[in-house]
Amino acid sequence: MTYDLVVGDPRTVARVINMAHRFQCRASRVDSTSSESVTTAHFEFAGDAKQLDRLRAQIDRIVQFEKIFVS
Amino acid sequence: MIPAMTPRPRTGGDAVLEALEREGVDVIFGYPGGTIMPFYDALYGHPMRHILVRHEAGAAFAAGGYARTSGRVGVCCATSGPGATNLVTGLVDAMMDSIPVVAITANVRTPLMGTDGFQEADVCAITQCTTKASILITDPGQLYTKVREAFALARSGRPGPVLVDIPTDVLKAPYVPEQNPPRKVSDVKPVATPDSIAAAANAIRNSHRPVAIAGGGVREPRAVKAFRELCALLGLPHTTTIVGLGASDPNDVHGLGMLGMHGTKASNLTVHTADLVLAFGMRFDDRVTGRPDRFAREATIVHNDIDASEFNKIIPTEILLHGDSADTIKALIAELKTGHVPRFDDWAVQAKALGGPLPSDVSKDGHLSATDFLDQFFAAAPPKAIVSTDVGQHQMWTAQRFKPSTPRDFCTSAGLGSMGFGFPAAIGACFANPGRPVFAIVGDGGFQMTMPELATVKRYQVPVKIVLIDNRNLGMVRQWQELFYDERYSATNLSDNPDFCTIASAYDIESFRISGPEDAPSMLKAFLDYSGPALLHVSCYPDELVWPMIPAGGVVEDLMESKA
Repeated sequence: MTYDLVVGDPRTVARVINMAHRFQCRASRVDSTSSESVTTAHFEFAGDAKQLDRLRAQIDRIVQFEKIFVS
Repeated sequence: MIPAMTPRPRTGGDAVLEALEREGVDVIFGYPGGTIMPFYDALYGHPMRHILVRHEAGAAFAAGGYARTSGRVGVCCATSGPGATNLVTGLVDAMMDSIPVVAITANVRTPLMGTDGFQEADVCAITQCTTKASILITDPGQLYTKVREAFALARSGRPGPVLVDIPTDVLKAPYVPEQNPPRKVSDVKPVATPDSIAAAANAIRNSHRPVAIAGGGVREPRAVKAFRELCALLGLPHTTTIVGLGASDPNDVHGLGMLGMHGTKASNLTVHTADLVLAFGMRFDDRVTGRPDRFAREATIVHNDIDASEFNKIIPTEILLHGDSADTIKALIAELKTGHVPRFDDWAVQAKALGGPLPSDVSKDGHLSATDFLDQFFAAAPPKAIVSTDVGQHQMWTAQRFKPSTPRDFCTSAGLGSMGFGFPAAIGACFANPGRPVFAIVGDGGFQMTMPELATVKRYQVPVKIVLIDNRNLGMVRQWQELFYDERYSATNLSDNPDFCTIASAYDIESFRISGPEDAPSMLKAFLDYSGPALLHVSCYPDELVWPMIPAGGVVEDLMESKA
């Protein structure tokens, strides 16, 4: 599974990696760049299909926390 | 003559306080320390009410109790390092049960961060996975805005905790007036699609044995009203999770009580037998489902939640209703009313008959049964009482017996199951609900974890009534040892408990003692009649178990009503 993340808080990358391990998945590749206000990351995850589905849903959830604000 | 004091220069601490005022905060539960002193300095003489707890864990739990029983954001604060880490359990508890809490912590000054400075802990990292967000503010000009945004985030969507960490030099920096208004919260929220609502309505019309389940998403008054309306409209048998207790109208005869491991037999058998499960604002916790592949296996599942990550997480779902529970249930009612509105009264009567009376032990030979006592307690307790519990057997016995008028009248650490929660949460509930009777029903194990908050009760004359069910054991662990570990009672014996009435007395708090069944009626009356904070020590025999019980990971066929 791949996931492309765009967030404001660069620490979200670490949060996602922690989450992957909690879900018994593995972040097999992570490419990330950060500027002053935007962090982008491309993840490749390995793991059980059902767990990967859960992981995707949880990443969507934490990304959503940032999206509640409109500039 | 008293010399005029030099006016204190305003600081970042004042900006934080200003933000709290703008958010309508009326009380903060906290404990001071080195790095948070600029904030406490701003609080000095300020009309904002600060409640000094005796341990930061008490502050986080009190903020949780405040939020759970009011729907408003609970606020706690602590200093850096140990102060901040002591908040963590309460924040995880709030995250698990979707409770809006804002925690404000200070940290070491910015140049010291990352140097293992005195009382430094990376609390943002520690709480990153256990809060909706942990926000480090390093710019004094951002304090007002970011603190207000923390509140917006805590309240939005599925509520939860947010931690704001502020280095002490930022709190101490000269006050910077609001530079940018907080970002607006998007008014776009998930709404169940008309197609999904129509599909759910059709599933109801085609069903013969439906059952509704209300979870924590139905705590909000609009959702409670809609849920009760739906159940009444259809004559629908319904049950709740432990955090949904109170969603059901206590007078609705089709209410089946709590679902799950220690839920009622009728609830569990009805869900097991149902051909349609309407799950509102609940997350299919393992304490509810047992073995998920055997849960409601004859039923079509309709799942409503505001958090899409809950869909298909545990139970495969046929119809997803992504949206706020109140709006979704109202839309479902409206859709049902456009066509045939079925009634399920006959099935509801059958569902109720699947269960039986709640098993209560009988006090005998001078020894008091906890369930016998709790039956007496709830028969005598004032109406509209708020009840907070700790975690363990007494929690389950209470959840089985208490009939809250609304979900906000029952306060318990459900998802995290954190011992030590019940007493400080009840203190928070008292501040959120002045004038209402608040009871903390606690066990002897959990009470001792946060017992120093008796000092908080004394100082502020918090009118909490503590009901201490003392069986001189960690009862729930002991129950599992008895049933599943060949009665090997490892580390659960608390027979050397202190005299809790003497402890209450040391804090100058009134206490009442029930030593056996014969004392119960008179002492209970005296306790309930007493005006002000008080502790009722209830000495119960240690080997009473919580029934019914579906063993962890079990199925409804495994339901036990007594020891085999």
